[in-house]
Amino acid sequence: MTVKFEKIEDNKVKLTVTVEAEEFNKGLDAAFKLVVKDVTVPGFRKGKVPRLIFEKKFGVESLYEEAINYVINNTYYDAVNEAKIEPVAQPVIDADFENMGKDKPFTYFATVVVKPEVKLGLYKGIEVKPLSQIVTDEDIENELNNLLTQHSELVLKEAEAENGDTVVIDYEGFKDDKPFEGGGATNYSLKLGSNSFIPGFEEKLIGIKAEEERTIELTFPEDYHAEDLKGQDVIFKVKCHEVKTLEVPELNEDFIKELNHENISTVAELKTDITTKLTTKKETEAKNHLIDTVVDTASNNAEINIPEEMIENETEAMINDTAKRLEQQGMNLDLYLKYTGGTKAGLHEQFKGQALKRIRYNLTLEEIAKTENIEVTEAELEAEFTKLSESYNLPVEQVKSFFPDTLALEQDIKLRKAVDFLVDNVKEIE
Amino acid sequence: MRDPKDIIKRPIITEKTSDLMASENKYTFAVDRRANKIEIKNAVKELFNVEVEKVNIMNVRPKRRRVGRYEGKKPGYKKAIVKLVPGNTIELFEV
Repeated sequence: MTVKFEKIEDNKVKLTVTVEAEEFNKGLDAAFKLVVKDVTVPGFRKGKVPRLIFEKKFGVESLYEEAINYVINNTYYDAVNEAKIEPVAQPVIDADFENMGKDKPFTYFATVVVKPEVKLGLYKGIEVKPLSQIVTDEDIENELNNLLTQHSELVLKEAEAENGDTVVIDYEGFKDDKPFEGGGATNYSLKLGSNSFIPGFEEKLIGIKAEEERTIELTFPEDYHAEDLKGQDVIFKVKCHEVKTLEVPELNEDFIKELNHENISTVAELKTDITTKLTTKKETEAKNHLIDTVVDTASNNAEINIPEEMIENETEAMINDTAKRLEQQGMNLDLYLKYTGGTKAGLHEQFKGQALKRIRYNLTLEEIAKTENIEVTEAELEAEFTKLSESYNLPVEQVKSFFPDTLALEQDIKLRKAVDFLVDNVKEIE
Repeated sequence: MRDPKDIIKRPIITEKTSDLMASENKYTFAVDRRANKIEIKNAVKELFNVEVEKVNIMNVRPKRRRVGRYEGKKPGYKKAIVKLVPGNTIELFEV
């Protein structure tokens, strides 16, 4: 087999592969074996027609198509390896049909899109403004307040409703003394000041007491969505059943006891706990921010001409991933699209941007790994297996058996190391 | 000597003989009942212009065939399996 290759466009390569006659004859043999299964000739059992008879009757030419498939399947990957190219899509194949035949060498041409060349820009010493990792008193205060609000309860109150209270009401709306559709409900819990009703409604309920009835005159806003109600004057008859107010618990040891956290029984302890949690959170945030920024900057500085086919493939893969995940949840893509009101084309568009970004990132990181001679050592691979086995709670051997080919894993580690490299070389600015 | 075309009557092409042709360079013919190995060898040499290594012959017995109540038989014939000297082939057998 001889392989020649020439660049015809950016990212596009034409391979000319010539296969020896012997190899092509092998293809013919394989093709015959495949085709003969469905051939009947009088005098012979089905699928048992001798080669000689078959060729006399149908001609060797009838085997060419299958033979070409066979030959290409068997030689294409070797050819790709020999030419040292990295295809990213299926090749477009053409063959020299005029000079082909039994006992003759066979030539075919494969036009294939390859991985684009990456011209790295600045990637060492990228300037990043790190996020602050200091936990301030204010942060702790906010966190405590959040905690308290989460544990607050609605309690009944006798007094008049204030802004922020919740009232349980029956209400019915009338237009020209006639009830209108969607204008009523019973036992509806409405938080005053939440602006969930039309303007004015909630304000006019302030001061209402339990068991009180009120009639509210209102005008629907001009931009209301229902055509027949726009700008109309209406009357709402409201009956209030209950007024509830939100009671925020006090920060004391009783409250902490209720939280039922281990080893925390005093306010001070709670504060320390929150501080440590916030510190780790901020640290992770800062780290992620740093990684995101460097990778993003490095890939933006690099010059890559990503071929359309590559984006297309990645997008397809992402959609398939999503579809698979949905199926695991007992859904499917069509149903999901119906619920969310999206279309397949829309989803495609949406993923395309992400795909582009992902490819950009990966290509840049790969190139950086190559330039910086980042290699994965045996020990690192071993460590990765141990980590995986821990997270899946499976023995290391079993995890290993999932990866008959460690190439993908190595690539993964390599990219991660490239990221580490970027982070190590960051120039922090204020 | 009789005409070789009278001795070699026709090739016999079946799954089995196809295999023999491909693997052992042996060609199978129906031949005149009266012919012997030497005559067959010479006839094949002359007709196809090839070197013959050896010839095996056998008589295929007549087989009884019945159509309804009438009984008859398929005629028997003499079969010759001719092994050629390696390197020789016969291009024949129109189907």
